[in-house]
Amino acid sequence: MTAVLEKPEVAATAPPASRPLAPRGVGKKLLVYLLLIAGAIPTLLPLVWLVRSALMDSGQIFVSPPQWIPKPFAWDNFSGALTQVPFARYFLNTLIIEAGVLVGTVLSCSLAAFSFARLRWKHKNLVFGILMSGVMLPYAVTLIPTFLFWQKLGLVNTYVPLILPHWFGTGVFNIFLLRQFFLSIPYELDESAYIDGATPLQVYWRIILPLSKPALAVVSVFTFLGVWNDYLGPLIYLNDSDKYTLAMGLASFQGTYTAQWGYLMAAAAVVLLPIVLLFAFAQKYFVEGIALTGLKG
Amino acid sequence: MASSPMKQEARWGVLLALPAIIGFVAFTFLPMIASAVISLTDWTIGAAPKFVGFANYTRMFTADDSFFKSLWATLYYTLGAVPLLLIVAFAVALLLNQPVRGQGVFRVIYYLPAIVPIVANSMLWIWLFNPDFGLLNTLTEKAGLPRSQWIFDESTAIPSLILMSVWGFGNVAVIFLAGLQGVPRQLYEAIAVDGGGAWRKFRHITLPMMTPTIFYSLVTSVIGALQVFVQAAVMTEGGPNDSTLFYIYYLYRTAFTNNEMGYASALAWVLFLVIMAVTVVLFRNSSRWVYYEAGSTR
Amino acid sequence: MTSSGLTRRQLLRTGGVAVAAAGLGPAVLAGCGGSDDAGGTGGPLSFMYWGSAFEKKAIDEMLKKYGKEHDGAKVDPMYVPVSNYPTKVSSLVAANTPPDLAYLGTGQMYDLAQKDLILNLFPYLDKYPELKDRLPSSYFWYGKDKLAANQLAMGVQILYYNTDAFKAAGIDPAPFTADTAWSWDDFVQAADKLTVDQNGKHPSEDGFDSGKVKQFGTIAPIGGAPLYSLLRSNGGDMVNEDGTKFALDSAAAIDVLKKVQDLIYVHRVAPSPAQLGKNAPTTSVQLQTKRVGMIIDGNWTLLDLMESKVPFGVAVLPKFKEPLTMTGGAAGAIFAKTKHPEEAIELYLYYNDPEHVDLFKDGLWAPLQKKYYTDQAEIDKWVLKDKYPANFKTAVVDTTLKNGVTDWGQQIKNADRIHQVLDPALEQISLNKGAPVDIVKALKPKMQALLQGKWPLQEL
Repeated sequence: MTAVLEKPEVAATAPPASRPLAPRGVGKKLLVYLLLIAGAIPTLLPLVWLVRSALMDSGQIFVSPPQWIPKPFAWDNFSGALTQVPFARYFLNTLIIEAGVLVGTVLSCSLAAFSFARLRWKHKNLVFGILMSGVMLPYAVTLIPTFLFWQKLGLVNTYVPLILPHWFGTGVFNIFLLRQFFLSIPYELDESAYIDGATPLQVYWRIILPLSKPALAVVSVFTFLGVWNDYLGPLIYLNDSDKYTLAMGLASFQGTYTAQWGYLMAAAAVVLLPIVLLFAFAQKYFVEGIALTGLKG
Repeated sequence: MASSPMKQEARWGVLLALPAIIGFVAFTFLPMIASAVISLTDWTIGAAPKFVGFANYTRMFTADDSFFKSLWATLYYTLGAVPLLLIVAFAVALLLNQPVRGQGVFRVIYYLPAIVPIVANSMLWIWLFNPDFGLLNTLTEKAGLPRSQWIFDESTAIPSLILMSVWGFGNVAVIFLAGLQGVPRQLYEAIAVDGGGAWRKFRHITLPMMTPTIFYSLVTSVIGALQVFVQAAVMTEGGPNDSTLFYIYYLYRTAFTNNEMGYASALAWVLFLVIMAVTVVLFRNSSRWVYYEAGSTR
Repeated sequence: MTSSGLTRRQLLRTGGVAVAAAGLGPAVLAGCGGSDDAGGTGGPLSFMYWGSAFEKKAIDEMLKKYGKEHDGAKVDPMYVPVSNYPTKVSSLVAANTPPDLAYLGTGQMYDLAQKDLILNLFPYLDKYPELKDRLPSSYFWYGKDKLAANQLAMGVQILYYNTDAFKAAGIDPAPFTADTAWSWDDFVQAADKLTVDQNGKHPSEDGFDSGKVKQFGTIAPIGGAPLYSLLRSNGGDMVNEDGTKFALDSAAAIDVLKKVQDLIYVHRVAPSPAQLGKNAPTTSVQLQTKRVGMIIDGNWTLLDLMESKVPFGVAVLPKFKEPLTMTGGAAGAIFAKTKHPEEAIELYLYYNDPEHVDLFKDGLWAPLQKKYYTDQAEIDKWVLKDKYPANFKTAVVDTTLKNGVTDWGQQIKNADRIHQVLDPALEQISLNKGAPVDIVKALKPKMQALLQGKWPLQEL
């Protein structure tokens, strides 16, 4: 089921891949800019809306026709949101889970992907296909059986059920993605290492991983976002509000009877900020990196 | 090191894949089997399950309007959202791949929507859709277009949610962008020598070289769209008049509001089979349009 | 489930490795301990609840205070955001580790009670006579001598209005005693005066632009507690006396549905559901921004209103035949599995008491005990004179006692599923997708199929 998904292999024999040729002429460049800006407006508008709502008091938020400029700037939405919910605590908790999940995912998925992409063993394509079927199973239905499993182990109300599965390659999309990537790395590299007496583990660690930083960055960012946004997992497994995560903190602004809209939007903005920064940092790696590592050569 | 290199390689292969295999067995396969068994029972949480054979499945196809309604709503959403999402993401990726100054900034901007936490995103869009003080009607009015009722009308509710999903094109665009960067430069150069224009380059190099990436995104997006949930849970509660009663939302409600675990598990298995069937169809057809060089599987 | 071949120790060790690898070992390991105490399997009591961040603070403080006043008894608060609350309850019950005390939605509470998972309070009534001193409508019975719970607080419907908007429209303050309640026509008339478009015209005047309304008179009460109050006021109901027959198709009920729908589409004094928006502005915001002049809503809205400094008044609901208001609320229950039933009941009584929980004085909750409605000195303990609006006593406290009708959902069996059928139909009415009589006709067989009667009532 997977063979068709492989990347074109032209790369293996071709000189380094790179960006397409630079647009020629000023006119073309101008057109690119125009399009980029035209696209950026609808992309950003909802976020501008979020920020303006975070800075308005609720009286002004719901005025029709809507207004764009907060008057006055309700900075206390932020202080209110940040004091009503212990964000620092939740932030730390979320980071702990993030760290555990990230390391586990990157290790277990890349090891599995390495095995599926670059080692020969019986039935591996069959096994890979079966693993992939996991993504088709709706999460809601394994919720209770899985919960009972962790309960039996006495690990409910700890971070273990939220972290440990990720050390066992449960993010199968990641295995898929990494395998795709590993397939495109020339085999000559491995072979010369094996001739020098390296073990597969050494090949994985010294050759494949360093060449795969962009793909690993993609996997990391997706994984990070998944944990950052996960709400149902912490809700089910954690009982102490001291252990709660940011996503749960965000949900608590939606009460039974009332929603504190200004606070909610301010809190959303606060939760959003770290990942914006993370992406600003990571995008260099995971997009430009592919070209820069020259791994196609 | 008595064993042959081949055998050794196989051993390593199994060993390195082992964590993932164990993880699959423990966290996917066993719960899957459990849910299959549960689907043959009448089980409400807190009581003992009663074996009922295939009664849950019979009920689904003979006595449950909501089942068909939710299946239809989900397919409608998927058919609308996935193609649009892929086209927009592809266009954006092409743009972001142009080597111009400020490229990094634009990449961050275009990716932003994808990183808004899902719950916050839903809250935000409830507002944007508000016919009176929401952003969208303000814009359509300025453009001289008629006001829409967006998620508040049966006929526009799903299209509205499709629009919202397209806004989160960032994740797919990033994958496309990575794919575009992998297209070997000399292929473009070859066509440039032949005097080919931009369209020819796109049509004969970019597009074919991108088909594996497009295919990957198609499969993952379809699987994701068929499991759409949060929008229904947070924004519409399945309404108006059950028009956005998406399958997983219906399943979730069956399991946790109506406390019918057996029936919910049966629903899950049917969806599982539907997704499987769709995926198989996609794979079957892929050989017609997905371009790949002769197999390199070792 | 354990056939993956991992022992618990191995799992723990691997988890520890995971964490150590991340360089954050101590922090997580601290977070890993003590799981056996949670979930009510022993040790301290656990108290599971939902609510806003504001409510969370109030409940956590109450539990701390309880501990201090009871020899350092420890109560573990288990706060769960409301949006997936039933899921959390289900998983804890499935694992056989329910909390000791919990808020519960009515449907889930009855479901659990039926399976004997909720502590029957009946045998404890003699030992804890305070349990008997509540408004009769606040009890949930699930069989003869089987008392599952009380409401966690009393909820009641009120007509709120912006006093500035009333002044500007030249309307006298809305009536605040049951015997002077507005007729429906009075209500519509007031709503017409309150509704103005951007040119200052009222709906009853020529040239009124319903697309550019600056201020609406009210919000059409099509659904939930406001609708049920009006249905009963006109002698109608959702179901018959014993809950076995659909009754929304009675002439009296259709009359109410039609009149309520007319607020939007004939009198044009109320926004359509689309204009109103889903999930968006709460009553306090609607009144504060003068988007709407008056709204029927629950007493819990007082919390926001009193915080927001909106000039507002409270009044009795308009009447059809009789002046009525619906009372109701979610359940507060104790799980049968608790190892400390008596301590749990003591905590239960404690958090039901306005003397211990600020949420009563803040306006979110109304008390359950009769004395807080009948004895002026007791009333003063929660209806704070400098905080609550004038006339709150006659408009709300008195009507709760004398004009209250109990939420039909409090007693009907299969309530959750019934609502899944009923609510879309009511939505159709509010969207003007047809005449109420036709929509109700189509609804009848679907809903009739779900009716299974009512849970019993019992005198104390």
